[in-house]
Amino acid sequence: MNTSEEVRQFILSELINGTGSVDIDDETELIESGIIDSLGIMKLLTFIETKFAAKIDESELMPENFHSIDAIRALLNRLNNN
Amino acid sequence: MDFKTTNEQDLLANNIIKFARNELNEGIEQRDANSEFNRREWHKCAEIGICGLTFPEEYGGGNADLSTTVNCIRALSYGCQDTGLVLALITQICCGLQLHLFGKDNQKEKYLPPIISGEKIAAQAISESDAGSDVGSMRTTAIPHPNGYRLNGTKMYITNGPIADIVLVIAKTGQSQMAFRNLSCFIVTKETSGFSSETNLEKMGLRTMQNSGLIFENCDIPAEQIVGNEGQGMFIFNEMIEWERILMAACYLGVMQRIYETTVNYAKTRNQFGKPIGQFQAVSSKIADMRIKIELGKLIIDKAAWQKDQKIRSTVESSIAKVFLSESLKKICADALQIHGAYGYMKEAGIERDVRNSFAATISSGASEIQRNIIAKLSNL
Repeated sequence: MNTSEEVRQFILSELINGTGSVDIDDETELIESGIIDSLGIMKLLTFIETKFAAKIDESELMPENFHSIDAIRALLNRLNNN
Repeated sequence: MDFKTTNEQDLLANNIIKFARNELNEGIEQRDANSEFNRREWHKCAEIGICGLTFPEEYGGGNADLSTTVNCIRALSYGCQDTGLVLALITQICCGLQLHLFGKDNQKEKYLPPIISGEKIAAQAISESDAGSDVGSMRTTAIPHPNGYRLNGTKMYITNGPIADIVLVIAKTGQSQMAFRNLSCFIVTKETSGFSSETNLEKMGLRTMQNSGLIFENCDIPAEQIVGNEGQGMFIFNEMIEWERILMAACYLGVMQRIYETTVNYAKTRNQFGKPIGQFQAVSSKIADMRIKIELGKLIIDKAAWQKDQKIRSTVESSIAKVFLSESLKKICADALQIHGAYGYMKEAGIERDVRNSFAATISSGASEIQRNIIAKLSNL
């Protein structure tokens, strides 16, 4: 499973479970749609840091880096390259 | 796994306890009665490095990790009977931390040294009359304006509000329906035109700590006063709140230890029916429960602090620490008063002040109900 798919599965199972079937593609707006709220982001951050052994610097903690699966994948790529 | 503190940590804690007992407790009854903040004691704490414990030396800080900082705060609240002062200092540390973690270099250079030295007092302005735990409901706005932002709104119950020189204000900067994306953090100094603080609010407890409303009326803030980036406010808040909950829990632990020792001593020396009251199971069970709460509370605080030191997210553990220590504090204070009987009910004993103070613990920095929501939400339900 690639990074995008793992993030998608996490979002589907942990952030929107029990809310019916939702399609999430790589560009689906996660924040504006309410899929990620203020507590959901903490859950997502914990997942990302644990699953991908990523250390996310404070300067990277911005909505732009988490608003879609594409944005999250780009963030992880950046962290890996650094 | 090593539960032992280092010799340096022990030495530091012992020095802080001695300092607090010698320098901070005189006149506490009067200051509590008068809702009086004592700047002299504030500066004494700053002079020994409390405000700067966790900051880099280049800004005048002590470069301590959070585990050491927690140990120091615990020692301070154990020795110092003025819990309002300790909590005011924690607010100062948390404001500095936000600047340290998210601020630009020029902001750190300008604001961290006076925060660390205690010369300037800092406040964190988040709560509003209709936006307490529900941060997203806040109405304070920061609208783009030539050269920066125009701030309008009223904050409520702000710790250090009436005495603050520097205020970190969370305000809405966007039009998104999702507040999570809308919030930004700004540095406002007390000289800023349009900023004013209301008078100190009379409280049930923690009366030496100053709280008030803060008013921002067409307050023009230069763009360089934004902390981090626009829209980063909720992230800054989330990070700060973990630190705050751990430090507050450490403060509660120190108070609990002090009350526990006072109560054990009383139970050993107060005789009724021909023997010390501590020999009666009804009393000794309460004391055993106090000890259980202290030991378990220490473990969760140490774990949460260790996580932060390892750069591991501590959302759940810091919430567990907050809810467990705050509720334990209330219970221990109430039981201590009960064991002290009529004497405990008298102001002279000093316990009633701790009882009054303890009620804020389960309300501020996220009420117990909110902590449980957080823990549940992050428990894969």
